[in-house]
Amino acid sequence: MATQNTPTQDIADLIARCALRDRDAFRTLYERTSAKLFGVTLRILKDRSEAEEAVQEVYVKVWQRADRYVAGNTSPISWLVAVARNHSLDILRARRPPSADIDVALEVPDAAPSPERAAQNNEERGQIEKCLGTLESDRADAVRGAYLDGYSYEELASRYAVPLNTMRTWLRRSLIKLKECLTA
Amino acid sequence: MTTSDDISGDFEGRNALVAEYVLGLLSSSQHARIGNLIDNDQNLRADRDFWISRFASLNDEFSEAQVPGHIYPAVAARVFGEQGRASKSSSFWESLMVWRGIAAGAVAIAVAAVGFNLAQPGPDIGALTTQLVAALEEEGSDVKFVALYDGSGNVRLTALSGAAVPDKDFELWAIQGGNSPISMGVIPVNERSSVVVSPDVMSGLGDGSVLAITLEPKGGSPTGNPTGPVVAKGAVTEI
Repeated sequence: MATQNTPTQDIADLIARCALRDRDAFRTLYERTSAKLFGVTLRILKDRSEAEEAVQEVYVKVWQRADRYVAGNTSPISWLVAVARNHSLDILRARRPPSADIDVALEVPDAAPSPERAAQNNEERGQIEKCLGTLESDRADAVRGAYLDGYSYEELASRYAVPLNTMRTWLRRSLIKLKECLTA
Repeated sequence: MTTSDDISGDFEGRNALVAEYVLGLLSSSQHARIGNLIDNDQNLRADRDFWISRFASLNDEFSEAQVPGHIYPAVAARVFGEQGRASKSSSFWESLMVWRGIAAGAVAIAVAAVGFNLAQPGPDIGALTTQLVAALEEEGSDVKFVALYDGSGNVRLTALSGAAVPDKDFELWAIQGGNSPISMGVIPVNERSSVVVSPDVMSGLGDGSVLAITLEPKGGSPTGNPTGPVVAKGAVTEI
């Protein structure tokens, strides 16, 4: 009966109830999480009215996709942030001129950790900070800028005043090093 | 640093495509192509989830910002406005069908055939009766139920197979129209039982309503609403 619900469990329950089309749950979920998700759209889009429009679309997606949230894979708030972040990035991406970089290799990337391993490591918060700390500081900042501000390679190249291909190489190597550290 | 890999981006035969995808660094067409590759490959999905969960540690750096009050009504109009246009039964089927994914990891295939005999109470064998049947099914469980409405306010449930889950209970729900699911109570998984149909469930029971069984904490949902995965569900259909 009286289970001690953590905030995380509460959010997971609200998402589950949204999947069952519970409108009250949706409203509560919005009240509990909209400030966070608005923070995400605002930081990435950097325009208040665009961010307001985006956060509306984000909650439409949350309602439509609530059934796809699988508890245990990611924390519920991380899932919500990912929906908001990806939506904001989609907006930015659609706005960018068609990219000339057709060199992307479509070969299967390097071996991934098993799903079990990925889940196992889920809880290790702060690990990314430690591993970012092993990178040169401007490269670590570039990775953070890509994640938190949605900067493109072009934007990062101009911010750090390096050629575009150099920025690509920086980041790709940094990500490979990051993965080695995160899976060590 | 060598310069030989500057063009391909590969580094000692490896690449960071999935991480670039998660960061959102790929162009629109590349993003779509890599997204498709990831969706269709279990290892790539694991790699994507790996990066999502790692980078999520940075989420604290997104500071909260209060949303203006006029936004929620606009959201509700878009979300529930669309919902209102869908027919009741199809919207519930859609919403419940997709629970399959959530249930998959939890319990297993549950198949339940639920029959309702909405005959008038009484011994008259020749009386015209209305039969309602629902086949409830989910992957991942061997739990099977047959239920029959006995015409006197009870649904008799017979479990054909299945095993209880430690520290969990199965709970039966009636979902009718746009209302929140109504609990019909916790049901035993490996024996016969009978559930009293409350007047609010009875009033909406019939074609298009949906029955669902969820896995809940011991004693049933603490909130009065479903909190766990749906392990079986099905539309009530007149036969």
